[in-house]
Amino acid sequence: MTAFLSSLGFGLVTASVLAIAATGFTLQFGVTDVLNLAYGAVMTAGAFVAYVLNAAGVSVWIGLVVAMIVCGAGSVLLNACVYAPFQRRGVSPITMVIVSLGMTLIIEFGVQAAAGGTSVSYSMSDGPSLRAGGLDLSVVQLVVIGLSLLVMAGTHVLLRYTRLGKAMRATAANKTLARNCGIRTGRVIAVTWAVTGALCGLAGVVFAMDAGSFGATSTDLFLVLILAAVFLGGPGQAYGAMLGAVIIGVATEVSAAYITPDYKYVIGFVILLVMLGVRPSGLLGARA
Amino acid sequence: MSDEPLPDEHAPRRAGAPLRAESVTAGYGGDPVIRDITVAADPGQVVALVGANGSGKSTLLKSLTGIVRVTGGTVTVGDTDITRWAPEAVARAGVGYVPQVDDVFAPLTVRENLEMGGYLLRPARVAERVDHVVTVFPRLGQMLTRPAGKLSGGERKMLAMGRVLMLEPGVFLLDEPTANLAPAIARTLLAEHVRRLADSGAAVLIVEQRARAVLAIADFAYVLAGGEVRMSGTPARLAADPAFTESFLGGAAPRA
Amino acid sequence: MNSFYIVNLLIYAAVDAMACLGLSQQFGIGGVTNFGFIIFQAAGGYTAAILALPSQTANGGFQSYIGGWHLPFPLPWIGAAVVGGVIALPFTFLVGRRLRGDFAAVGLLVTAVLLNLLVTNYRPLLNGDAGLSLIPQPLQGEFDPQSSGYGWDFTIGALIVAVAVYFFVRRLTESPYGRTLRAMRDNDTVADSLGKNLLSLRTAMLVTGGAIAGLSGGILVSYITTWSPAAWGYAETVVLFAAVIIGGTGNHLGAVIGAICVPVGFEEITRYIPTSNNLPPNLIPSLEWVAIGLLIVLFLWFRPQGILPERKRVIRVPDTAGVPAQPGARPRPAPDPASVPEPRPRPPGGRTVLEARDVSRDYGGVRAVSGVSFRVTAGTVTGLIGPNGAGKSTLLAMLAGTLPVSGGQVLYDGKDVTGLPAFRRARLGLVRTFQMASEFKRLTVMENLLSAVPGHRGDSFRGALAGPRYWKKDEDAAAARARDLLERFGLAQHAGSYAGDLSGGQRRLVEIMRALMAEPAVLLLDEPMAGVHPDLARTIGTALTGLAAGGLTILMVEHELAIMDEFCDPVIVMAEGAVLAEGTMAELRSRAEVVEAYLVG
Repeated sequence: MTAFLSSLGFGLVTASVLAIAATGFTLQFGVTDVLNLAYGAVMTAGAFVAYVLNAAGVSVWIGLVVAMIVCGAGSVLLNACVYAPFQRRGVSPITMVIVSLGMTLIIEFGVQAAAGGTSVSYSMSDGPSLRAGGLDLSVVQLVVIGLSLLVMAGTHVLLRYTRLGKAMRATAANKTLARNCGIRTGRVIAVTWAVTGALCGLAGVVFAMDAGSFGATSTDLFLVLILAAVFLGGPGQAYGAMLGAVIIGVATEVSAAYITPDYKYVIGFVILLVMLGVRPSGLLGARA
Repeated sequence: MSDEPLPDEHAPRRAGAPLRAESVTAGYGGDPVIRDITVAADPGQVVALVGANGSGKSTLLKSLTGIVRVTGGTVTVGDTDITRWAPEAVARAGVGYVPQVDDVFAPLTVRENLEMGGYLLRPARVAERVDHVVTVFPRLGQMLTRPAGKLSGGERKMLAMGRVLMLEPGVFLLDEPTANLAPAIARTLLAEHVRRLADSGAAVLIVEQRARAVLAIADFAYVLAGGEVRMSGTPARLAADPAFTESFLGGAAPRA
Repeated sequence: MNSFYIVNLLIYAAVDAMACLGLSQQFGIGGVTNFGFIIFQAAGGYTAAILALPSQTANGGFQSYIGGWHLPFPLPWIGAAVVGGVIALPFTFLVGRRLRGDFAAVGLLVTAVLLNLLVTNYRPLLNGDAGLSLIPQPLQGEFDPQSSGYGWDFTIGALIVAVAVYFFVRRLTESPYGRTLRAMRDNDTVADSLGKNLLSLRTAMLVTGGAIAGLSGGILVSYITTWSPAAWGYAETVVLFAAVIIGGTGNHLGAVIGAICVPVGFEEITRYIPTSNNLPPNLIPSLEWVAIGLLIVLFLWFRPQGILPERKRVIRVPDTAGVPAQPGARPRPAPDPASVPEPRPRPPGGRTVLEARDVSRDYGGVRAVSGVSFRVTAGTVTGLIGPNGAGKSTLLAMLAGTLPVSGGQVLYDGKDVTGLPAFRRARLGLVRTFQMASEFKRLTVMENLLSAVPGHRGDSFRGALAGPRYWKKDEDAAAARARDLLERFGLAQHAGSYAGDLSGGQRRLVEIMRALMAEPAVLLLDEPMAGVHPDLARTIGTALTGLAAGGLTILMVEHELAIMDEFCDPVIVMAEGAVLAEGTMAELRSRAEVVEAYLVG
């Protein structure tokens, strides 16, 4: 029982990190129609931006904010300079995947070239550990969970109640019709890259906090978990990604406690492959 | 934020502006689909575009709204030349377009669809306009929170027209609004709603397959064939012309 | 430069070139995007290692793994190729499904990552992340692997295998079978409708590519004598794709050049850059990866066709008159479509060749076609008209098998073909064309026509491998037939142009000619005259009537009623998913309901 509860605690933290990342990924894909496999690499870049500042003596929480800004701006540039020109040329989805894999190599190993190949970690205090009914979480872990709840609530408010969020959903649903309504979809898409890029940066930093130590290639496997959460909920479905993140986050950590930690990602991969094979539109997606 | 609401004085007004398309040629990159088409619609008029499948009616509307590239000719609304403007700019110029398919945002609720229709308005004005549209289409008022994808065909088309009404455009472009509707609903839609748009001062250019039904409410009509205007005139004159029926049912040899 | 260095480079070049050739065949020719490609090389590597390793005691017993067969050369290499091919079979299900291309790519990438993770963590099977080592080299009992002579012999052996692989894929590609593969790559639905078995073609491509990748892995392992998960990360697949894209997708020589530029150029050569103490240890490898990423993106933008673009295949038509008819082909009438035939007598109560019985189709709850029944009589040109959304194209697709029916039966030549896939119906002579542009863009006009020829001896894996001498006669006969058609339709001067470069009207013609090359008994045409100049429309109509006079049956969807009037008898009218009326145009025009369907709805 204690093993279960403590793994559940880890699961909640993993699920929280995953929820931030998957929400950003799925919004990005839904609105822009780019399956950006460089998302994990951008997360890494964000984690390293915070690390550089942290190593220079700045608080990691300020680093986190800077990482969000850098990743938001970087994602806007990534789209404007790379993805959008390819999309305008009308290349196939496969070509876009190859382009995004190329960008993955450039960003990920660009970070590695700049930062060196060794693992690093933030210098920060985890704070006192809090115990509640068998769950044992540090303050930092609680903050991560809180941030994730904040992101999910914020996404909900953005999409349901703001003009921008509704325009994002309209653009995702039918871009031509959105333009017929006078919506400047080009700007909506640029703002989407900024918002989801910032979420990606946030996800990168909290991922690094959760992982303890991290290197340039640490997000490779985590990207697969993000994809699993996204496809479980249905690509483009923000609530689906949140649901998928919780299921996969908890499932990986609990399975790690009972089977072996070596295989903790396997369950996420299997879920992803099953979803792709059986129902690529996801649990919450419309049937094709 | 991405877009500033239009100041009220720039909002398109119902005092409709005449739409003119002069010698428009357009297509999808290869051979032009429509060639040298001239049509016009004045405020207060319903102008019908009829013709067989593939005669270029929908392409003409898409070229007027900026979706299909115009390669020749000019399009004006009032004194403004909107040739080759982007769709979002055409909308700002006061042209409302209802496509034949994909005419609503399926995952958004009815209210959100209307809000997107009023995207260019101030928030307070949006609420006013939603109230107004609901008085025009009372059915929509009962289902404001329902996703548009779950509406019936007729309700969906009302929503599509309501969405366009939000901006009070001076020009309406309607692409086969009665397609896939039961005949009774189709007649109601044309007689009540489409006619009323013109009667309240807008210029309406409507593409229809149901030629007889649309001629009953139209002030003027163009018959398109093979991407060109084959004949035009008032409904009375067209109905009296045997060549008009023939243009639908063939009988003549293909044009050389 | 010492000889060890050169030997090393050449062997890597041979191995990478083989892998790139396998991928080029799969991706560049067959259009099968396999982001799990590295799995097959890995499988070959492990297979060769397991087959070659002696029993546990022989290596001091420090490794625990299965087998200990210690098989002599070349069995480990052969085993590597066989296993690489066999494990490709289950992947047919992922690649064969109608899954969005980018989603399928994600699925395969993830499979590669997953398998790597499993092997890394599961020690008992393949020794986990430590991998297998001390793998015996070929013939190491007879020769001394440390000697430089051995290195050179190994190099020559590897290069010979690589050259053999090159000629193997070249023979496959430069054949009617290769043409079919490229047709599938350009438009799989259309290839299906012309009688090509997509599942079998894709399986063949996966297995061929898998076997080649497996062989390359086997050779690599028996040279470097160790194999571990670090050698086959998912990124290695990206490197191979980069090589094929940079070299030239669809050009095998380009794949070899790509292999030399990317994996050899970046990964191997830089291994020998002397490391300076001033540089961080990971800098050079990191920058290599950055450079590979940059190369991919820049090439896709500035030169998507690669260093060596796909060659245009010119087909020479033999000047021999009176080409003998093909063996095994269905008996065909040989009408002259350009001549205007006499008014054709309607066969009284003629034979029904195609019949729809209560055929329905639902799209997500909407009934597009509901309970349609009609018969098509042999030798007629039957027209199918109706307003937009009447369900004409859907009906045509169900008759051809492109779309499954939701209910009802399709009978062809008296047999129930409802359950047959499109390619089987096409092979029986029920061939369709498409409303949308459907030419194979990167095939020439001549190749488009030849791609449809049924029963071509060279249009099979074995036929292609048997070589041109086996299929040349069929090819010449087909080319002569294609040239005749091209001359009749006035496109002879475009025979060598890419179909994608033609005008809209010319592409329609290519499609109709291609369907005729498939030797149909019943031809289903979906708006063949749409977007065609009226003069040309008349030529097409006349040609079709001529073919019908010679025995071909045609069912044609059209919107230009004047065309119906002139060329079609009888005409079927559809509205709102159902048949409204049937008769001659003259009869139909006098019937109020038909006029209503068009004018009122």
